[in-house]
Amino acid sequence: MRKSKFLMIPVLLWMALFLLIPMIIVVVISFMNRDTLGNVVFGFSLTGYKTFFDSLYLGIYWDTLVLSVVTTVICLLVSYPLAYYIANAAPKIQTWGLVLITIPFWINFLIRTYAWVLLLRTQGIVNSLLLHFGWIQDPVQMLYTKGAVLLGMVYNFIPFMVLPIYVALEQMDKRLLDAASDLGATRWKAFRHITLPQSKSGIMTGCVLVYVSTTGMFVVTDILGGAKSMMISNIIQSQYLGARNWPFGSALSVIFVITSLILILLFNRAMQSKADRVKEGSA
Amino acid sequence: MKRKSIAGLLLAGAIAALSLTSLGGCSSKETLHIYSWADNFDEDVLKDFENKYNVDITYDNYANNEDLLAKIKAGGGGYDLIQPSDYMVATMIKNQLLEPLDMKNVPNFANVQESLKDPVYDPGNKYSIVYMSGVTGIAYNKKYVKDKIDSWEDLWNPAYKGKVLLLDDNREVIGMALKKQGHSNSSTNEGEIKSAVDDLKKLLPNVLAFDTDTIKQKMIQEEGWIGAVWSGDAAFIVKDNPDIEYVVPKEGSTIFSDNYAIPKGAKNKELAEKFINYMLDPQVSAKNYETVGYSDPNAKAMQYHSEAYRNNHMINLTEDEMKRTEWLGDVGSTLQVYDRFWTELKSGRE
Repeated sequence: MRKSKFLMIPVLLWMALFLLIPMIIVVVISFMNRDTLGNVVFGFSLTGYKTFFDSLYLGIYWDTLVLSVVTTVICLLVSYPLAYYIANAAPKIQTWGLVLITIPFWINFLIRTYAWVLLLRTQGIVNSLLLHFGWIQDPVQMLYTKGAVLLGMVYNFIPFMVLPIYVALEQMDKRLLDAASDLGATRWKAFRHITLPQSKSGIMTGCVLVYVSTTGMFVVTDILGGAKSMMISNIIQSQYLGARNWPFGSALSVIFVITSLILILLFNRAMQSKADRVKEGSA
Repeated sequence: MKRKSIAGLLLAGAIAALSLTSLGGCSSKETLHIYSWADNFDEDVLKDFENKYNVDITYDNYANNEDLLAKIKAGGGGYDLIQPSDYMVATMIKNQLLEPLDMKNVPNFANVQESLKDPVYDPGNKYSIVYMSGVTGIAYNKKYVKDKIDSWEDLWNPAYKGKVLLLDDNREVIGMALKKQGHSNSSTNEGEIKSAVDDLKKLLPNVLAFDTDTIKQKMIQEEGWIGAVWSGDAAFIVKDNPDIEYVVPKEGSTIFSDNYAIPKGAKNKELAEKFINYMLDPQVSAKNYETVGYSDPNAKAMQYHSEAYRNNHMINLTEDEMKRTEWLGDVGSTLQVYDRFWTELKSGRE
């Protein structure tokens, strides 16, 4: 047991070097000021944080939250049945299912997103087909809309939801279901009281992965949304580059990390207590 | 259990695939390290230079001036030659990030057109020499746009609802609206900027997308019918879509340039100057700009250019058109005002 502790050292060093130290730098910069050239000036200041409490940035933060939550919910609704199907399929189908879900990751994320442009644009594949079959008279404007952004987000993050839920369902002791049916539970009841609580950890992991990834994504809004909307991550990016206001960008990042952590904690707690209630109910 | 570990592995692989790394190489010959925009030179011209002087060239790309600034400021890169745009030259001079040029090593500077010498962003060409210049004008597709186009006002025409393209750049777009209202594109008057942005908010229903990098493809594919496009991009677009026409609006517009400059502490400063001088040779220049598609700043190179290049009005603007243009000046701390209004415009919130 003693020795195995040393195995942690490389990971801990790595995390300290590439996660902790940069985070500390960001926190420190967030309390500083900028000069007119955009250089960070030493000295304590809360300007970055004060700027955030402007209805403009609060509003954008709200928009980001809504889009991320909606993306997470849709991903969950789409992924759960899929994961359920794969987990209960024959071993060969399981392997193929998992491989098919992972294949898109072998292709660069940007290229996959641009592929949607080829599909959705006015002279794209979808519009051409619809026109060809006479279902529409004029091309439909699908790209550069909020719907296209949502589609791109959901498409990109579905695997993050499917894989953890699959793992949870796979691990489940299937004999519990047999026991339930022996005791006269309907299939729905068995699902609600056994399968769903047992896959809770997968749902939680999936939701957190999708939520966090969505909030941090700024490329999809640019490519599929025509850069017509702004997420908080777009603003952070522009503060670091175009606007050259690192303190404000850092303050936004810090607020972003803290609120995300709080939301995730609240979410975990809610899931936990709900699961406990279900357990008590079934006991 | 086995399958579980496969799923875990796949997930880990998926996450790892999201992050990319790039590796560079090195060589023993004297090497010129260039840091510039993608596809900014004719490949053969670079190879000729390597052969002529028996050196190697490495060529890394950046996508915008801000990336360039961040990298040079961090002291990184080890680059000998960079190509900042006009306003970025000014910013880099103020931040003392550039080496003064030794004009003794660049006699061919004499070939540069007089109008492009001694620019506002680098008086006396102490730190930079123009590489290419262009203006922001209106490109439109004659198949869809039948009205006469000669003013920024035309973008506001309700007939082009959802078909207008704008650059994804706050100074360019707000500068355009400022020009439309008869102000300087670099106004530092908050009232003027606000009124320009209010005007732009009315333009939003017409806007298909804000895009700088792939605006060319959006025009070629006819997703957009009309938009604010850089002259060199327009020349590129028309090669793939001959229905595109281009005008410099009567209210005037923004002129921009990319430049040669040498970052502070460059290891091969003399080689970089040799390269600049080589590129300013009239024949080399002609060969290079035929490929690049922007206007050739070399006054002695015109005779070596093809007739198609010489007659292309998107590459070679008239004197009248050039007179209507204005450089984007440094707005100092007003940049924050531009940024806030830009965020308002794009987010639809206040």
